[in-house]
Amino acid sequence: MVRQIRQHWEMYLLLLPGILFMLLFKYTPMYGVLIAFQDFNIFSGIGGSPWVGLKQFEKLFHSPEFLQVLVNTLLISFYKIVLLFPLPILIALLLNEVRILWFKKTVQTIVYLPHFLSWVIITSLFVTILSPSGGMVNELIKMFGGSPIAFFTDNSVFRSLVVFTAGWKESGWNAIIFIAAISGIEQEQYEAAEIDGAGRIQRMLHITLPGILPTIVLMFILRIGNVLEAGTEQILTMYNPIVYATGDVIGTYVYRMGLGKLDYSFSTAVGLFNSVVGFLLVIFGNQMSKKLVKRSIW
Amino acid sequence: MLKKRNAKDWLLDGFIYLFMIALAVMTLTPFLNLLAKSVSEEWAVVSGKVTILPIGFQLETLKFVVTSSNFTSSLGISALVTVIGTVMAILLTAVTAYPLSKPQIPGVSFILILFVFTMLFSGGIIPNYLLIRELNLLNHLGSLILPGMISVFNLLVMKSYFEGLPEALEESAKIDGARTFTILFRIILPISSPVIATISLFYAVGYWNDFFSAMLYISDPALKTLQIYLKDIVINADLAALGMSPDDMMNLPGEGVRAAAVIASTVPILCVYPFLQKYFVKGVLIGSVKG
Repeated sequence: MVRQIRQHWEMYLLLLPGILFMLLFKYTPMYGVLIAFQDFNIFSGIGGSPWVGLKQFEKLFHSPEFLQVLVNTLLISFYKIVLLFPLPILIALLLNEVRILWFKKTVQTIVYLPHFLSWVIITSLFVTILSPSGGMVNELIKMFGGSPIAFFTDNSVFRSLVVFTAGWKESGWNAIIFIAAISGIEQEQYEAAEIDGAGRIQRMLHITLPGILPTIVLMFILRIGNVLEAGTEQILTMYNPIVYATGDVIGTYVYRMGLGKLDYSFSTAVGLFNSVVGFLLVIFGNQMSKKLVKRSIW
Repeated sequence: MLKKRNAKDWLLDGFIYLFMIALAVMTLTPFLNLLAKSVSEEWAVVSGKVTILPIGFQLETLKFVVTSSNFTSSLGISALVTVIGTVMAILLTAVTAYPLSKPQIPGVSFILILFVFTMLFSGGIIPNYLLIRELNLLNHLGSLILPGMISVFNLLVMKSYFEGLPEALEESAKIDGARTFTILFRIILPISSPVIATISLFYAVGYWNDFFSAMLYISDPALKTLQIYLKDIVINADLAALGMSPDDMMNLPGEGVRAAAVIASTVPILCVYPFLQKYFVKGVLIGSVKG
């Protein structure tokens, strides 16, 4: 053992800053979740604050406000999965059929762009074009005789807005993984099918789609594992008190309770609930993926 | 072998090309609208007549925005955080990934598990906030740089790249008497420029676009990042305008100014976009295969 360490001491020295970094910025906050079981007082610290057992969690599960937040999170996630998960697959399938190379490249360049912009920029774009006073979309609605919609402050459309903008930002980029999977399909399969007289749509449905099915299943399972993350950063840039009823999700709720109302223990309990459920979902999803498509993330 | 195209093929192609054009138009429209607004004459912007083409032409609004001290100061802060953060992050990631690519060294695989576990489980927002507060990093640029210095995803991408390098390179250097540090900095890193470029871009975009950390940790107006500046001037101003009397609204930045602020903040990303697209696609694919 000592000999081993001596032999590799330079390697260990290289590893040291990374380990210290990890302990400080990743594992110290994990120790910090203990305040979820306390009535944490910022002046007494973790050592001096009273322990209260599961009180914060009882409060959490009896809070109608949290229930609403959970419903919002699950609904927004559900819509995002149902509507936005298939979209990149469709884009990849169709893009694969485009034979004019410059056209394909141009479309890719355009639809990948929003991925690289921050949510603040994306929200700024949409706040502007959707503005009820002089925004382009509402001007169009007025032109066709409708009345303007206050997209960002109307509870009946806010969730749709969240789902739409998320799709607008990431659908093109998310197609990349499927485009790569398609390029891995053997060309002979297509040639054989063509000789058998299969049309393009048939080839798409019977060769391309089954060819990328393992990738689809894996991505789907990963996506399900992330169901409690409905888009914290996105919603934080988009929402306002008027749409808390439909738009407040777990991540934003933790932020509001913790840094807005300074209820550190309660908001940490909410965060811990979120982390634990998320962790279990990923573990479960990975097992599923191993079973179903013999592929896993670890 | 080219087969004759039948009517069905034409129909399918028609649908596909229309779909792609619709996609591209939908993506570009918001940008074109804001670009048009930022260069149109003020009366046209106010009357809501500007769509994707400018009405009239002036550069005063853009000039006003990019020379305003709020914009230049937040641009400077963001640039500083991005440059320092990226350099430090890439260094730390490289020196950590190298030993991690040698699973035969005792303890290394355990450390790797510790890293991967942080991808699956985290302390959450509040414990992170309390840590930064404890470290006296609130209202300090360190709070924006330090916590992001190792992304485990990037670490894994780099590690798998190192694993793919030929063994013989290091062996021959060792025979020549080179020590580990020399091997890493003189041999390994110089031939790793593709992965370094990719990961630098990952980090740079992460730092540049980071809005959450700044929102959590920075309240000093002098330390506002570009993202926070933009949120204040565009999103918050738009919401504030809802309940205001016309007199108060006069004090808010006008629509042209807000559009110009968005455009000016998008330009830096546009300038590096060709590189981003090229290297990101590669990085994402390495990450998805090996990660």
